[in-house]
Amino acid sequence: MRLPLWEILKRAKEGPMLEEKQFDLSLFKKTQELQKKYGIKYDPDKPIDVDGHLSDRLYQAGLELFLDLGTYCTTTRRVIRVTEEELKHEMKLCPEVVTMGQGEDRVEMRHRDIEGAQEPIVIAGIQTAPFSDEEMMFKISKICAMDRCVDGLWGGILLKIDGQYDVVAGAPSEIFQYRKTVEVLRKAINAAGRPGMIIINNAPTSIATIAMFDEGVGLRRSDYMEVTGMSELKVAYDDFNRTAFALAHGIPIHGSHSSIIGGFSATPEGASIVSVAGSLQLIAVQKAESFRCGAVDSRIKSRVTRAQLWVAGTAIQGLNRNTRLIVDGNIGDHPAAGPGTKQYFYEAAAGFIVSTVMGGHSTEGTRKFVVGNVCNYGTPLESRWMGEVCKGAVGMSRDEADRIVKYLLGKYEDKLKDAPEGETFEKLYDQQNLEPLPHYRKIYEEVKEELRGLGLRFRDY
Amino acid sequence: MELSDMAQEDRRLVEALKEAIVEIDSEKAKEVAQKIVEKKIDPKLAIKYSIAEAAEIIGNRFDCGEVFLPHLVMVGDIMDEVGTILEKNIPSEQLQRKKVIVIATVQGDMHSVGKNLVAVMLRAGGFEVHDMGVDVPSASVIQKAKEIKADMIALSSLLTTTMPYQKEVIDDLLSMGLREKFKVMIGGGPVTRQYAESIRADGYGKDAIEAVVEAKKLLA
Repeated sequence: MRLPLWEILKRAKEGPMLEEKQFDLSLFKKTQELQKKYGIKYDPDKPIDVDGHLSDRLYQAGLELFLDLGTYCTTTRRVIRVTEEELKHEMKLCPEVVTMGQGEDRVEMRHRDIEGAQEPIVIAGIQTAPFSDEEMMFKISKICAMDRCVDGLWGGILLKIDGQYDVVAGAPSEIFQYRKTVEVLRKAINAAGRPGMIIINNAPTSIATIAMFDEGVGLRRSDYMEVTGMSELKVAYDDFNRTAFALAHGIPIHGSHSSIIGGFSATPEGASIVSVAGSLQLIAVQKAESFRCGAVDSRIKSRVTRAQLWVAGTAIQGLNRNTRLIVDGNIGDHPAAGPGTKQYFYEAAAGFIVSTVMGGHSTEGTRKFVVGNVCNYGTPLESRWMGEVCKGAVGMSRDEADRIVKYLLGKYEDKLKDAPEGETFEKLYDQQNLEPLPHYRKIYEEVKEELRGLGLRFRDY
Repeated sequence: MELSDMAQEDRRLVEALKEAIVEIDSEKAKEVAQKIVEKKIDPKLAIKYSIAEAAEIIGNRFDCGEVFLPHLVMVGDIMDEVGTILEKNIPSEQLQRKKVIVIATVQGDMHSVGKNLVAVMLRAGGFEVHDMGVDVPSASVIQKAKEIKADMIALSSLLTTTMPYQKEVIDDLLSMGLREKFKVMIGGGPVTRQYAESIRADGYGKDAIEAVVEAKKLLA
């Protein structure tokens, strides 16, 4: 039996009390110490650890950090600690396979090997982006669902109720409208002929997230519950609410944690250690069965800077080489560039290639990093790109990935701070036949051909 | 008086203090600050040429990616400690009141990193900053601002669905007849200058560096 959530909550109430600032500074000091102890060194000329030795050391450093520092509960202001024996037991009891979806759309998510031939599970869609109205969300989601290269869809937000009332986190409107988003997703997958397809959404508060579950018209037990670990190495009761509900209802739990380059883990080396530790937290503390191991950069609004690719890629590789856990990478999810630009596809491709090659699934959707409250700021082509690249990189070696990623970085790296904004769905798709406008399709096909030429093995779907 | 007008030994002490702050050497900074007090060096000049200049250097290093959030936090702590020591020699009636900023991530939003960055950068920029943390309701923010006689309220939001809480604070200030008492600056991932203008915020910071520039401009 896994360490019960109730034991974790007991520790959250009885563990050592600490000011949050002291925990943050301890995290900084400990990661500095561990990067020296384990010889963790980021070399910008090597965005991918091609032989895995560094990743092995990183795994040990992350393990030590998690066991030594623990998880900070911001609700109780106490530290939750798990012993090494307990953690090993937790990892041993994590399922080898998580089944999601229903009927013909059912998929099995398993541990993937580095450079492995196992196909990653891809849950795409225009993740957490605002849609102008239900009809627009339905149209966009339906087209996304029709793409056979994706296994599931992430939802977004409907910003107004009845076109005029704001949806506000923590208010009744959030519960009502997030529930509406999954109803729209269910209609969209039905209309696309994939009624059993996985759909996911996660509201800012747990109460609104829980309210989305409804076997008839909402999220089902065959979808997953996302539980997020707060950055960095923290958790709150609101996060535990999601775990408690999922455990009570037999819903797969998928965790997500990101280290922050420039945050308290400071350097890319520190962030990579925290990425591993955060993943272990999701398993041991938040009871996840699969998890996304990520990183963000506090100063650049893109998830695929050179440092992020190294941080997340090395951490995922370390976890996959040293455990049999089910790891999600999803690195290319949030490019700086907007839809309708080549840069979006270059950025996304770099991240998704690293995710797949390092043994990750990609289940957390995609969209431009910053969309603000601009509605319909994403199209089904970006969702398809995520599926095509994740699956087209299957079987690729780290050396090959290294070569391609360096090429892609050369295409976008110097444009991240001033990335092209791109266009909304209305400007990129024919609103009658719901097909990409010729100029956008041309951009897509050109980049696809370019990547095929570089070695991606795109398949026909 | 400028730094160059000071006696050589005094100048050396002030520069040593600046260096200790920049090197995040708390003990040395406190030791040098104490010597400055004992030598009766003009504390206002010492603050100007040590703390203020160190803040600028650290800010630039952060901007270049040479130092990170924990460094800013530690430098902020040292500046507070050193400031307290140096101010001992300033008569209370001459103590220049720092501009006071209440900062929070709005209700319903648990994101702390961007807000933390802005808070430490504002602190390093010479403001007195009261960080209320995350998920803070409008009423609590306003209550705190009133209580400590703040000059500015800074509000962070990282979610589209929590941005309305930034507007709520401004609306509540208007309803309470307090709008003129506090400048309001907003920021966060999805927030834009256009949005800030649309909800009648006084200022907007795209990032931590810009937030400090904006705050200095608004509170000049």
